[in-house]
Amino acid sequence: MKIFVLIKQVPDQGAKAGINPDGTIDRAKAKRMLNPFDRYALEAALHARRLYGGTVTAISMGPPPAIEILYEAIAHGVDQAILLSDRRLAASDTLATAYALYCTVRYAGAFDLVFCGLQTTDGDTAQVGPQLAERLQVPQITYCEKFEIDHSEIVARRVIEGGSQTVRCPLPAVVTVANSAPRLAYKTLRGARRVQQLQRDEAERSRVIRTVNLDDIGADPVRCGLKGSPTIVAATEKVGEIGGNCTLYQGKPLQQLVDDVLAAQVIAPELVKR
Amino acid sequence: MSPPIRYDLLLVGGSASNLILAHRLLDLAAKSGLPLTVALVEKSAQFGAHIVSGALTKTHILEKVFPDFKTNGFPIEGYVTHSHLSVLGSEERWDLPHAIVPKGFRKEGHAILTLSHAIRWLAEQLQVKAKALTNVVLDVFPGFAAQEILYAGERVAGVRVSASGDVSEDAIFAELTCFGDKGFLSKDLVERFALRPNPQLWSVGIKEVWEVDLDCQGVVWHTLGYPILDGTFSGGFVYGLGHKKLAIGLVISLDSKNPNLNPQLRLQQFKAHPWIQELIQGGRLLKYGAAVIPEGGYYSLPTRFGVEGALLLGDALGVLDAASLSGLDKSMETGYIAAELLHGAFVDRNFEDLAERYKRAVMDGFIGQELYASRHFRRAFLENDRLLGEYLPAVCQSVDQGHPWLGSLKFGLGKPIQRSTETFQALGLILGRISGDKLFRYTPCHENIEPAFTQPAVAVSTQARPETILSRPDAVFFAAPRYHEGNRHIEEFDPQTCRRCIAIYDRLGKPTPCIADCTAEVHRIDEAGGVRVHGMSLENCIQCRTCEIVCPSVNLRVNPTYEGSGPDFYGL
Repeated sequence: MKIFVLIKQVPDQGAKAGINPDGTIDRAKAKRMLNPFDRYALEAALHARRLYGGTVTAISMGPPPAIEILYEAIAHGVDQAILLSDRRLAASDTLATAYALYCTVRYAGAFDLVFCGLQTTDGDTAQVGPQLAERLQVPQITYCEKFEIDHSEIVARRVIEGGSQTVRCPLPAVVTVANSAPRLAYKTLRGARRVQQLQRDEAERSRVIRTVNLDDIGADPVRCGLKGSPTIVAATEKVGEIGGNCTLYQGKPLQQLVDDVLAAQVIAPELVKR
Repeated sequence: MSPPIRYDLLLVGGSASNLILAHRLLDLAAKSGLPLTVALVEKSAQFGAHIVSGALTKTHILEKVFPDFKTNGFPIEGYVTHSHLSVLGSEERWDLPHAIVPKGFRKEGHAILTLSHAIRWLAEQLQVKAKALTNVVLDVFPGFAAQEILYAGERVAGVRVSASGDVSEDAIFAELTCFGDKGFLSKDLVERFALRPNPQLWSVGIKEVWEVDLDCQGVVWHTLGYPILDGTFSGGFVYGLGHKKLAIGLVISLDSKNPNLNPQLRLQQFKAHPWIQELIQGGRLLKYGAAVIPEGGYYSLPTRFGVEGALLLGDALGVLDAASLSGLDKSMETGYIAAELLHGAFVDRNFEDLAERYKRAVMDGFIGQELYASRHFRRAFLENDRLLGEYLPAVCQSVDQGHPWLGSLKFGLGKPIQRSTETFQALGLILGRISGDKLFRYTPCHENIEPAFTQPAVAVSTQARPETILSRPDAVFFAAPRYHEGNRHIEEFDPQTCRRCIAIYDRLGKPTPCIADCTAEVHRIDEAGGVRVHGMSLENCIQCRTCEIVCPSVNLRVNPTYEGSGPDFYGL
């Protein structure tokens, strides 16, 4: 079984992200991490391989540092990876991104399953997976939290409002994985070893992690990046940080602390029950 | 199926001993061109995160590996300029005149380290070093704890690192395995081959690092007396680090009669002392942590320093010298010696007698000499329990009354002949002036516990600022433990045994040793259908292993955790 998993490097939620003057995120400055939603997709892909055999290829689009998350994926057991990296991709919206990823998947060859995270924590659109499926002209299952392969069909349980729904479709298919699916297992010893091997051995690295640009994958540059993005960021508003005063009440018996807090009148009186 | 994961050398634990070993071995391989593959497994997610130490050290071994350690970026907090040995009463401090301070406590010139920083630096530099060598493959595995020793017949074949269920995926095999752990795993090796006929003595070291207004860099105090006046072998320390940081800690031996040592509470009482209150004025707590320390010394050394396929290093071996409060340089030296021997062994592909040759090299060198010279140190206190039980409290009292000399004298005059003989005998043992090689037997720590033992009340200064005193749950916050889902790293073998123990201590109106001596609010009693049973809040655990050592019925085992879980001691 040929399995692809699409992953993305996003700004670390714990760190402060920089905003460019044009309102886009300054990805070079931001501390980076693997999109938390993609961890479920990664687990689903590895799970499919465990049960049905085959290979897992991780695919990412991003600037060169995105290789970090491909290493991370390999540490978790992914077999190989493709990094699409091209300056002309900067400022792509979901449509342009889905197009570029579609070209990458096409370049990567025939597949049975493509797993995507539900959404990313930077864009939060949840559109790329479905758009990719449309481009590939294959069925899509969104919000998947459990699945099995039954003869060349996938049977999947989807999360829907108020419950779940079980659907079935033929392979190949695109599946976006809900965050109620099993969490990503810890990295493996063999994977952690493989990463260090790749970091040492350049020839092996370029064989296992293929870095490609738009020309390699045969994508039309006009349909990528800012040019290929019909979405216009009209304005970005910076949410100001509220610098509050924090008083730490400590070092006294509990009753006195409670009295101190009440005396400071920071709690609305109607909420206080004595 | 994938081929097994195999290396020439496997290092268990990102410890000072293993890292010095690896550095030295790589240096030697760089010169000789020896092709070598090395794996280093470490249970914490990042190197140094499970490291707690004082730490004052001589730098002679470090210098052998890094002649330029003063300028190459090796993190040193400073050098000791003033070293004091002090006796504490509950209000006063008496610095012993320098002339009568035993040599082992004179620390002038020693380097002051934040060992967790030093360990991370050593690990990072090791990877840089390996990258430059084409004949050496070094793989590091932080976040992978060795869980089980694998054998091929009687030969150590490697370790298993996690339990994914597939042994071929979790095993690392090696020609030779070096254990530089604190006993988490090497204890199994020691037990299987019955290497330690005389048990190890353990103490628990508990420490806080503060950022303070006062700059005390280079000033260190070692203290005796307050707040531990129950006869337990123990001491306090305050080290002035760089950047206005202060390390404040206690080391408490676990071979005490007292079932309720309460290390964390004791540390708070120590901090309540007016002298320390003044030192930490305006300061804030940065980190808290605890770890056990092997302090049996000479008599606790294993009969063999390794078995076929494995060597024991550092704390796994137990080379710390309690008399001079120094273990780090000796740990590093075991790594250094092992590296020299291993290099030869790998060049010749001959591992015969390796453990014997290693033992000889360690014992013929300064480690053997120091440990032998102070072999009676712990015995002195074990055989003369009045020293700490009566004499020390009397001196502490006189320190508070402002006349320490007179107090000491008065106590001596009470029963002059008996007391002076005792004291002289003890001093002889402590200072190594009494010879004799008769093996002295230690009793395992937990066997010393007397449930009914009641400690004398400790007068604690009431002037301490409350914001400087932390409850145990609050302290845990400063050790920042994090655990993966489903973690269960402490085993309780038999719940009935725990229930019986709880019943014994309930009758005495005391908490059980595991509850009292826990440094991190892990052990607790749960009511289950009217029965009081032992429960654990494992998410608080900072992995010091004290509970395992003090459990009166040897009913607990602290395993290394998975997935890099545990405390973050970086900064201690």
